[in-house]
Amino acid sequence: MNTTSAGKTKTKRYSYFKHFSTLFLILFLFWTTLSGKLDVKHLTIGAVTSLVVVWVTLSLLRLPSGENKDEYYLAFDIPIRRLLAYVPWLIWEVVKANVHVALIVLNPKMPIEPKVFAFKKKMDSPIAHVFLANSITLTPGTITVDLQDNVYIVHALDEDAEKALTPDEGEGIMPEKVARLFQENEVEGRGD
Amino acid sequence: MKYLALLFLLGGFFFTFVAALGVIRFPDFYTRMHASGKGDTLGVALSIIGLIFYLAIEDGFTFTSVKLLFIVVFIFLANPIGTHAICRAAYRCGLKPWTRGGE
Repeated sequence: MNTTSAGKTKTKRYSYFKHFSTLFLILFLFWTTLSGKLDVKHLTIGAVTSLVVVWVTLSLLRLPSGENKDEYYLAFDIPIRRLLAYVPWLIWEVVKANVHVALIVLNPKMPIEPKVFAFKKKMDSPIAHVFLANSITLTPGTITVDLQDNVYIVHALDEDAEKALTPDEGEGIMPEKVARLFQENEVEGRGD
Repeated sequence: MKYLALLFLLGGFFFTFVAALGVIRFPDFYTRMHASGKGDTLGVALSIIGLIFYLAIEDGFTFTSVKLLFIVVFIFLANPIGTHAICRAAYRCGLKPWTRGGE
């Protein structure tokens, strides 16, 4: 186990027990919330079910790192505290995206200028890529069409949407925010 | 609480309606995915949040509210992935996007 910085964990050897118990706890809490009953019978069924699910899925949740195929990221290893800051911003962006699309749909002239463009964002963690791709799809006028080897192919409804993601100078706000969420911008090992 | 529920439900209806209208009005496959991918996400999410408030009028916030919230979270995760999967399939099959000049 080799922790480079808080929240970002690369695993060389399987720290099997730790990951097992983390995933088990998440699933068990989820079960308890859904069932809403706290008697022995329901908790036992929940514990057994969670155990079986963890046993089956844990190996599927190890995602190989982009650079070094011997290293793994865990799919449920997400920096929760920074995520709590990111999600409200994302929801606001989603609302803006919907108003934007609604205005275009309701406009009789239909002012769209669709185009496909590519941009590159180098990030090591596959989870970070999933977050960025999802965020792009949810926000103003853009959809992630394809993603391969750090290159995103994006379909945009109009010029503004493209410029928001890839300004002429520097980097768009969203890729930068996602990278910061997973601490991909920083020099390895510095941490916070 | 009642008016909050009403507000969210109406918002949900509006965005779902706009999404449906967008699917009809947009010129090609990719642009239609814009309408359905975004409009549905917010529309359904707002409707369910409206339901949470509606339930809270009589019962307050219970386990049911948490379950409904889980549905919202799941839709927020699953809808963009679905949109992306469909778009990618179309892109890899070689479907050309519609452009203003290429009419």
